[in-house]
Amino acid sequence: MFDLFREIIQTLSHNKLRTALTGFAVAWGIFLLIVLLGLSKGMINAFEAGMNPDATSSMNVWGGWTSKPYKGYKEGRRIELLNTDIKALEADNRSHIKSVSATKTLDSAMVSTQRDYLTDGMSGVFPEDANLSRIDMISGRFINQADMEQKRKVVVLSEKNAEQLFGSAGNAVGKRVNAMKLSWLVVGVYSHPWQSKTYTPYTTALELSGNNGRVGEITVIASNLQSEADGEELESNIRSTLSRTRSFDKDDTGAVHIWNRFNNYLTSQTAMGLLTTFIWVLGILTLLTGIVGVSNIMFVSVRERTHEIGIRRAIGAKPRSIMLQVVTESVAITTLFGYIGIVAGMALTAGLGALIGNNEVILNPGVDLSIAVEVTIVLIIAGAMAGLFPAIKSTKVKPVEALRDE
Amino acid sequence: MIIHLKDINKTYPGAVPLHVLKDINLDIERGEFVSIMGASGSGKSTLLNILGILDNYDSGEYVLDGVTIRNLSENRASELRNRMIGFVFQSFNLISYKNAIENVALPLFYQGISRRKRNNLAMEQLERMGLADRAHHLPGELSGGQKQRVAIARALITKPSIILADEPTGALDSVTSREVMEVFRQVNESGMTVVIVTHDPGVGAQTNRIIRIADGRIVNPDDNLIIPDCKNV
Repeated sequence: MFDLFREIIQTLSHNKLRTALTGFAVAWGIFLLIVLLGLSKGMINAFEAGMNPDATSSMNVWGGWTSKPYKGYKEGRRIELLNTDIKALEADNRSHIKSVSATKTLDSAMVSTQRDYLTDGMSGVFPEDANLSRIDMISGRFINQADMEQKRKVVVLSEKNAEQLFGSAGNAVGKRVNAMKLSWLVVGVYSHPWQSKTYTPYTTALELSGNNGRVGEITVIASNLQSEADGEELESNIRSTLSRTRSFDKDDTGAVHIWNRFNNYLTSQTAMGLLTTFIWVLGILTLLTGIVGVSNIMFVSVRERTHEIGIRRAIGAKPRSIMLQVVTESVAITTLFGYIGIVAGMALTAGLGALIGNNEVILNPGVDLSIAVEVTIVLIIAGAMAGLFPAIKSTKVKPVEALRDE
Repeated sequence: MIIHLKDINKTYPGAVPLHVLKDINLDIERGEFVSIMGASGSGKSTLLNILGILDNYDSGEYVLDGVTIRNLSENRASELRNRMIGFVFQSFNLISYKNAIENVALPLFYQGISRRKRNNLAMEQLERMGLADRAHHLPGELSGGQKQRVAIARALITKPSIILADEPTGALDSVTSREVMEVFRQVNESGMTVVIVTHDPGVGAQTNRIIRIADGRIVNPDDNLIIPDCKNV
C-alpha cells in the first residue's frame, strides 16, 4: 500500500501544473459545500437555541366561539376556559401530559410607584412560564410554588419597566409597587428580547380578577410525544376533554383554539432537514464539475502514458494493478485537494462565526467531525468514480505497446 | 529444452488476412545464445511477441520452460512474463521519472516484494552492470549504453527463464553496441538463455546460433536458399 502511494506521489508530482489545475475544481466544490453546510448548521443552531424541550412539546389552548349547535345550545356561543379545566385536562391525559398551566391576565391593573406607572396590566402565570417564555432572570427570582400556594402579592418586572419604575433595574428587587389598590413586592427582574409583561402568581391573579375562575389561556406541556400522530392524538384528546367540561361538539374546531407547538416543531425540523439535504445536493452538484474534470484529466493521463503502461504490462503488471493505480491516483487527487477545500471552508466558516456568528439568525456556524467524515467518504467515492472509466480504459492497453517506438 | 515451438501459425485478420507465421518449428536449449534474424516484414516481430507472451498464436504449440503457453488470461500472461521473461527493448523503455534503481526494481514491485528487499536486489544487479554509482540517476542523465545496461539489469532481476532482446543495439553507436553485446555474452556465460531479435548481421554474428526467418518461415541453412541481404532491405 505504501509502495502504491509512493508510485502515485511520483506520477502526480511529475505533472504538477496539471494536478494543481485539476485539483482546484475539486477544492472549490468542497469549499462551497463546507461553507454552505457550515452556515446552514449555524442557522439550525440558532433555530434550536430558540427552542426548549418544554416549549417545543407544548400546546396552547384558548377559548373561541362554537360553530355547531350542541345539546340545545345554538352555534355562535362564546366558550371560555375555566380554572377547573386545568385539573380536568391533567386527569384525562396522564400518559402524555407533564403539566398543565394557565395564564390569567389582569388587563386593567395599573402598576405604579411614586416615580412612574405602567398601564399594560399584569399576567398571572405558573412558575413553568419562566421556561416556556424563555425568561432570563437578571436579579431576584421568578414566581415560585410558594407564591402560588399562598397567593402572594409579588411581581416580576421586565428590565425596562423596572428602570422606568425605580430609575434603575438593579435596585428594584425588594421594593414595592402599587396595583389594584394593593401593595406588591418586587421579587425579580428579567430580561427578554421583546417581552415586557409584569408577572404575578396565577392564583393571586385569579382571585383578584373576581370573574368566576375564567382563565385566558391554558398551556399543556406534553411528554413522551414521538411522532406527528402522537401530537395530533393529544390535540384531539384535549379538545374532547374540553368539549365535555365546556359542553360543545367535540368536532367543533372553532370552540377552542389549540396551537400545537409540537407538530409545528416537527414541521420546522423537517424543513431544517430539507435545507441540509438541499445543500448537500447543491454541494455535490458543484463537486460533480470538479469530478468530471478529474475524470477528464485521468483519461488524458492514461492516454499520455499508454507507452509507460505498455512497459509496465510487459514487465509483469497485471491489468488489475494498472487499474488500481489509476483509481488510487484519482482518489488521491480528489482527497488531497478535497482536504484543501475542507480546511479552507472550515477556516472561512470559523472566521465568519467569529465575526457574525452570534445572533438570532446564525449561531456558531461550522462543521463538526461527523460532517468532515461524511465529506471525506463523499470525496473517496467521488474520486473512485472519477477514476473508474479511465481505469477501465487503461486495462485495454496491450503490453505490445511497449515495443512500439514513440 | 527451454523453448519449444511446434507448427506455430499466426494470421492477422483483416480485409486481406495476413499469414505472418507459417508452421514455425523451433527449439532452443537452456543456456543458448541465439539470434533471430530477418528483414522487416519477415515475421520476426510477431515471433518475438509470441515468444514474449505478448501475443497469441492461432495454431501449434509453444512450451516455455515446461509451461504450455496457450490461451492465457491477461493476468496469467502478466504473471508468466514477470517471472519467466526478461525483456530488453531497442528504445530501452525505462520509465523517465524513475531513477535507475527504481526502474530495475519495478518488476519486483509487481511481485509484491518489499521496497527494501527490491532495492537491495536492484543494487546488486546494477553493481553487476558496473552502474552502482549511477543508481540514483534518472534515465535522462544516463548515456545510451548505460540506459541499456539498466534495462538489462531490470530484465535479470526476476531471474527469468530467458532474456528476450528486441534490437538491443538498434539505438546505439557501434562502440556502445559492442559493449552491450559483451554484457549479453557475460549474462549468457552465467548460464542464462539469451534470445536476440535483430536485423543486424553484425549482432547476429556475435551469437552462437543464428535463426533466420524470411516470409514467415524459418529458413533452414541446409536449404540452400538465397537469403536476402538484410542490410539492403
